[in-house]
Amino acid sequence: MIYAVAVATFKEWSVYRTHTFVSVFVGPVYFAVQYFIWTAVYGSRPELAGMALDQLIRYFAATALIGYLTMDFADWNLSMLIRTGKFLTFALRPIHHRFFALSQKLGHRVLGFALEFIPCLLIFHFLFGVDMRPANLPWTFLSVALAFSINFHFNYIIGMASFWVVRTEGIRNVVSLIAKVFSGALIPLAFFPEWLRMVQFFLPFQYTVYVPAMVFTGSFTPWLVGYQAVAALVMYLVSELVYRRAMRRFCDVGM
Amino acid sequence: MKSLSIYKICIKTAVSQAVAYRFNFFLSLLITFLGSLLLPLVAVLIYGAGASFPGWSFHEVLLIQSLFTVSQAMAKVCLGNVLWDTMIHVREGSFEVVLLKPMEPLAYMIATTFSPDSFGNLLCGLALFGYAAAHAQIVSAAAAIGAGLLLFIAGVAVMAGIQIIMAATSFKWVGNSRLPEIFGSVEAFGQYPIAIFPSAIRAVATFIVPVSLVGFFPAAALLGRAEPEAFWGAGLSLLFLGFGVWLYQHMIRRYKGAGG
Amino acid sequence: MRIIVAENLRKTYKTYKKAAGFFKRETTYVHAVDGVSFAIEEGVVCGLLGPNGAGKSTTVKMLCGALYPSDGRLEVMGFSPASDRKKYVGHIGAVFGQKSQLIWDIPPIESYKMNRAIYGIARADYKSILDELVALLDVADVLEKPTRALSLGERMKCEFIMAMLHRPRVVFLDEPTIGLDVIAKAGVREFIKKMNGRGTTFILTTHDLADVEQLAEHIIIINHGKKVFDDSLTHLRRRLGDKKLIELTLNEPPPPGALEGMVVTVTGQSSAFKMTLEADTRDISGCIESLFSRMSVRDISVKEPPMEDIITALYQ
Repeated sequence: MIYAVAVATFKEWSVYRTHTFVSVFVGPVYFAVQYFIWTAVYGSRPELAGMALDQLIRYFAATALIGYLTMDFADWNLSMLIRTGKFLTFALRPIHHRFFALSQKLGHRVLGFALEFIPCLLIFHFLFGVDMRPANLPWTFLSVALAFSINFHFNYIIGMASFWVVRTEGIRNVVSLIAKVFSGALIPLAFFPEWLRMVQFFLPFQYTVYVPAMVFTGSFTPWLVGYQAVAALVMYLVSELVYRRAMRRFCDVGM
Repeated sequence: MKSLSIYKICIKTAVSQAVAYRFNFFLSLLITFLGSLLLPLVAVLIYGAGASFPGWSFHEVLLIQSLFTVSQAMAKVCLGNVLWDTMIHVREGSFEVVLLKPMEPLAYMIATTFSPDSFGNLLCGLALFGYAAAHAQIVSAAAAIGAGLLLFIAGVAVMAGIQIIMAATSFKWVGNSRLPEIFGSVEAFGQYPIAIFPSAIRAVATFIVPVSLVGFFPAAALLGRAEPEAFWGAGLSLLFLGFGVWLYQHMIRRYKGAGG
Repeated sequence: MRIIVAENLRKTYKTYKKAAGFFKRETTYVHAVDGVSFAIEEGVVCGLLGPNGAGKSTTVKMLCGALYPSDGRLEVMGFSPASDRKKYVGHIGAVFGQKSQLIWDIPPIESYKMNRAIYGIARADYKSILDELVALLDVADVLEKPTRALSLGERMKCEFIMAMLHRPRVVFLDEPTIGLDVIAKAGVREFIKKMNGRGTTFILTTHDLADVEQLAEHIIIINHGKKVFDDSLTHLRRRLGDKKLIELTLNEPPPPGALEGMVVTVTGQSSAFKMTLEADTRDISGCIESLFSRMSVRDISVKEPPMEDIITALYQ
């Protein structure tokens, strides 16, 4: 059994080699760009939007690393399954497809941890000299785990749009554009005007990147993680609701 | 002449293709338009927070970024899908269909992959450029404008070279959909005043993968701050594009099994 | 006139086998086409057959100019396909059953206009050729519909037009009837026959032996990269000895010993009253006479042995 898993993982690994290569190149290059931009922008200022330069640098390093731990293509995978009709093979199995997809994602992220997260962590810590020790390990761990769950369930919901719409590239592109701005991956949300941050509070995006990255840098309250937990629960419930509707439609339309 | 008439028909075809999926076309126009706003958004927020890139006003930075966006969009419209179509053909073993046509395969690929979807990027870039140019202190001397135009063309050549090199790489590296990320990350060095980067990165971005020509140098020339190394880089940009074309053709020779 | 000449044609691929170690790779050579010679006359339909992986498609790729031969000589209409590719491909056409040349989202007519420009077909010629092909294939009403909305049969016919607008002298067909229904298949075959009648040479690769039986005069069979047969269809039939199949329906089960000395290929087809026997063509009448004398026959028919059997025997 363990042997089978090991072999399967190893085979995946050979596919993963190129991913590792790309990530270990792209992550640090983007980080370097951020590093030099913000170093120049701060100049001799002690802080901007309530963040000190070293906190901001740690923030960007953390967002890159969190990305490797939570990234997934659940929306794309599910769309493809539905569009090609392969979803039927899952509907016939005595297993919830979402559970299958989650297991798959877990497996991939374990690989991502070993082959993308660890190398980039070492690069950031030793090459760029950024202190990559989380301010509070248990809270950071919890927050990243919640981000993982929110991200997965959100993408899964987007993927289920394929049960209703034929071409979902448009929807997925719009969503990823919005997510890019409002998750905090582009710039910490502290730079946004106050009213926009209020709106953010009710959207899932900031709980996937901004919140865990802030928890990593140590600027958070336990409340923040609490909101994140609520967001995770809501995402789970919504995905279950949409899934049930989708199954009803799947059986009605017989797609 | 013949190539031009082929290209004309292919553009017409691409447009009717876009019209066939009207809703998706307008949606992707919108998305690419908005997507191009992300880059200046960071600048807006930085300057909004009262900070700046030392020595550069907001409109000057916007000038760099708008020129970058325009060159990138032009390369995307004309060449953006060469990568994907090459990748699909190689993966599915249908590149023969391209080789069946009595013309240069790269020319055929370029002609048939014209992608109006990226017009959104182009429109956004042009709008940003208009806005930035109206507000920044552009030197109105013919020399500055001529130098800016020359460096802008060099920048487009660099972007075109990058697209073609990526497409050529996909012959060997089939199915790596993350290829554009690699070049996308390097391109980021052309989006900001180059002085903020250490000299090693500046040298790479000017003389090896000359991305500083894409946004920074033409903007600097328009603002009357052109540096001599920019013109060295401009010469290199043609070499860079030439290398891309050579690489693609080399990959096709290998694909056909000539001495490969 | 010989329009295609191949002499000792070879194509060798270098592949890497994953060895036991992590980074060590072992180089192996695969001889996809291993010294094949043949000649094809202008104006014939030539069937190129062989099981999957036999080297057929590699041969076709070399013939189309998409692949350089590793060794040997290949000449089509005086061109060396791969090295003269740009000039050469203007004189050939190709239809691949599984690789569409039409653009998916737009009507076929738009794709044709593109080909008109690419092949530099004069406007007047284009019009008359298109009209002629459209009439032959009876697809006038689908030209303006988006390709994605066409049935497979309609699409395939449109692929033929795409491949033949520039009046190629040689046309390569790879599985041109795959997945088509009976009527569409018949339509495509009829078209090939007509165009062949007007002088176009066709090289046909297919697994559908009905295509071969109805179209090909000349047959080349390749297996394991080597040529195993190169002659006419009639000769191919004779290859396994002159045999006919006799299908019998009896009024009562045959008496014991009545079938002695006969080769019964399939027994018990639906009932003990039906059976198929093999008989030597030279002795067919004697054989039938003795059958009638030995048992009570309700129905009898004499057939050619199926192509599958002949081909299977050659592939082994």
